[in-house]
Amino acid sequence: MGIRNKTLKVMNSIKLMNKEKKTLDIMNSLLKIFTALLVIVFVLYPFLSVFGKALYSDGRTNLSEFQFIKGEFYLVKNSLLSASITALLSTTFALALGLMTFFVSERQKKIIMFILLLTMVSPPFIGSLTYIELFGRNGFITRDILKLSINPYGLWGIVSVQTLGFTSLNAVLLIGYLDSFDKTMIESAKSLKANTTSILLDIVVPLMKPAIAVSFLLSFIRSMADFSSPMIIGGAFNTLATEAYLSIIAKGNSPRASAMSVILFIPSIIVFIVYSHFLKQQQSASKNLRESQTRMKKSGVYHLVKILGLFFILWLIIQYLAIFTSAFTDKYKGEIYFTFDNIKDSIPHIRDSFIRSIIYSIIAGVFSSLIGLILSFYSYIMKGKYMKILDFISNMPYIVPGTFFGLGYIFAFNKSPLKLTGTALIVILNLIFRQLPMSIRTIQSSMTQIERATLNSAKDLGAHNLYILKDMVFPMSYSGLFLSFTNAFISSMTTIGSIIFLVYPSRKLATFVLFDLVSSGKYKIASVLSCIIIIVCLSVSLLSYRIFNRSSKNVS
Amino acid sequence: MFLNIKNLTKKYDKVEAVRNVSFSAEEKEIICILGPSGCGKTTILQSIGGFIQIDGGEIILDGNKIENLEPEDREIATVFQSYGLFPHKTVIENITYGLKFRKYKKKDAIEEGKKMLEVLNLRGYENKKVTELSGGEQQRVALGRALIVKPKLLLLDEPFSNLDTKLRVSMREELLRIRDLFNITMLFVTHDQEDAFSIADRIIIMNKGQIEQIDTARNIYLNPKTEFVLRFIGSANIDKGYFVRPEAIRLSENGEEARVVGKTFKGSFIEYIIEYNGNNYKMIRLNNEEEYQINDKIYIEMEMREI
Repeated sequence: MGIRNKTLKVMNSIKLMNKEKKTLDIMNSLLKIFTALLVIVFVLYPFLSVFGKALYSDGRTNLSEFQFIKGEFYLVKNSLLSASITALLSTTFALALGLMTFFVSERQKKIIMFILLLTMVSPPFIGSLTYIELFGRNGFITRDILKLSINPYGLWGIVSVQTLGFTSLNAVLLIGYLDSFDKTMIESAKSLKANTTSILLDIVVPLMKPAIAVSFLLSFIRSMADFSSPMIIGGAFNTLATEAYLSIIAKGNSPRASAMSVILFIPSIIVFIVYSHFLKQQQSASKNLRESQTRMKKSGVYHLVKILGLFFILWLIIQYLAIFTSAFTDKYKGEIYFTFDNIKDSIPHIRDSFIRSIIYSIIAGVFSSLIGLILSFYSYIMKGKYMKILDFISNMPYIVPGTFFGLGYIFAFNKSPLKLTGTALIVILNLIFRQLPMSIRTIQSSMTQIERATLNSAKDLGAHNLYILKDMVFPMSYSGLFLSFTNAFISSMTTIGSIIFLVYPSRKLATFVLFDLVSSGKYKIASVLSCIIIIVCLSVSLLSYRIFNRSSKNVS
Repeated sequence: MFLNIKNLTKKYDKVEAVRNVSFSAEEKEIICILGPSGCGKTTILQSIGGFIQIDGGEIILDGNKIENLEPEDREIATVFQSYGLFPHKTVIENITYGLKFRKYKKKDAIEEGKKMLEVLNLRGYENKKVTELSGGEQQRVALGRALIVKPKLLLLDEPFSNLDTKLRVSMREELLRIRDLFNITMLFVTHDQEDAFSIADRIIIMNKGQIEQIDTARNIYLNPKTEFVLRFIGSANIDKGYFVRPEAIRLSENGEEARVVGKTFKGSFIEYIIEYNGNNYKMIRLNNEEEYQINDKIYIEMEMREI
């Protein structure tokens, strides 16, 4: 009797478990399908729409929009020329900064990293703004100090502004690569009597080749895709990116803009393939965890490295000094004086747009991180077959130029059932999916810390996949989620390219207001606004750095 | 003395990793620094190699004070635990790299490098990439790269820790052969007793940044000076300041009674736990001797020695 009762009880509980498992299975599938749909609708579909617009019209293939390659070849030439020079210069400076870290103290290295961080949290055209203020026709350096009146616009203006803007990311990339270097190679070389020049040129630089290539290519596509610097200081020097932008804004000619964007996309995809190839090599680079400061004699090539590195840092410092001074000063009869007037004047410009920017960026940060987590869970942890493809698709926004992605959203969502153009939602969605690749990357690299045995143990104990996601993967990815949120927030706060065609004029974001201010010559107010954006982004990233550091210390 | 270390001290953030360490080595001697991880043994090696700055003390090599010289100015070569090979260079380029700074012509350098490959049994490996080599081969390239510059002192930092047991044994022999061939003085850091016992002329036992004992392997085992050394080297039965090694417990018909309470087959020998006078002792017998079962009565003799 007792035994029978027990058996019944066990059987009942098994039935119950099976029922629960079924519900969980269904939820699991729904979650997967939902995420997949999101990526297909908001990444793949807009992406294909641009190609559609460029290649098809009236129901058939039509390549006439690509005529501009012949007729306006100078656009292609200008883009390639400025991108090559920018990539070369920004990689050279970044290399110098990277190598400098071998010769400076930990403290000095931190200061360098802080200055680099500063440029990475600045809006993209801040360089153009200071460039005009310092070197423009009425520039502080060219006119007030050197008494020159030169035309600073054109190729060299673009190149110097972009170099200043792109070098920081390259330098951070190279420094990260050097940090993961096996330091005993350098020590071995030293104990074999190698001098500084030989160590750098025989060992360090050749081993950095993949990272150098990546930073060169990265700057190259960023320069190709950048329309704001050439718009502001390019003068008569037009590039593909500016022309694509103007085709939409001034002429409303979207097929032409699409065709140009497709052409811009070609180098990007090449670079991306090369990049992922190098990335693989980079990951296999050996790591040495011993933290001994490798000392090298300050001789030979070091001096060149120092000159380049210091020159760049000085240039950056001048730029930021210029912005901060310009925010707090004005000129009257040639006399510069301190004032709060610029701040007062800026209030009407920032009131709405600024809060809107912050809200949008928070939403973008949260959702891109969450979607990134779910996608990474299915593709990276569960190794789902189709999820790999999805992973690739969700990386696309990283490859394409911002304006390309923005155009895609216009073409994809301007008709029912998904008519979103003109709404706030389309802007937010664009921000979310534009940041998704970075989020996935950040989260996956934090997932490499999760041991497979931990997850298998959970499975062994009977945890369903969904519980593994909720109880194991989610809490163990905190650091990645956090970092991903911060990155996405900052990028959304400072971005312009991908959303410039989507934002409704009455619902402007801070970067748009800034772009308008710079374009219309209101440099003082623009400086104030730049300062505020920098301060907000800097505080967020410093705050997250502190929390992140503390939490990672608690773990170890 | 060929190498003389006097009162070496190194602090990391006020914590003394190495405190007042002094020792010396004769020419062609192999000295092994042995100790648990974190005892400061690698710090000593790095101080001598010049990769870290010391906070006090003197390092004298062949009559010259060298503690303030840069690593490249010391006539010392180092083989690192991770080998530190240049992954983008071939075997011969790795081996001959140091000759570049000794004014060798390229042709002569390659000639020398080939000779070295011959010595290391790596003939035909010239143009292989070092990343294609096995662990043992990489190890030999690292050795060759260090030896080719004819250093006065060779430092080896846990050189065998990445090798499997069999390879370890053959590399130990290789190292002894190389010492005889090149007449070189070596300082060797390890946490593996067998490494130390197999190749060291003298062993330095370190603990918490200080030297516990410097002596030959035999003396360290038989006459440990401190309880730490006793416990760290081999195993021992310890009772109130006295000790006896497991193999020093003898069987004797006239001995005192003890009882077998535990037994483990260890291959060439059998380890017993015996109860004697209310205490448990470890005892070792070779496996070709009479075997006992648990609860058997045996008669033993032993001499407890003072630590």
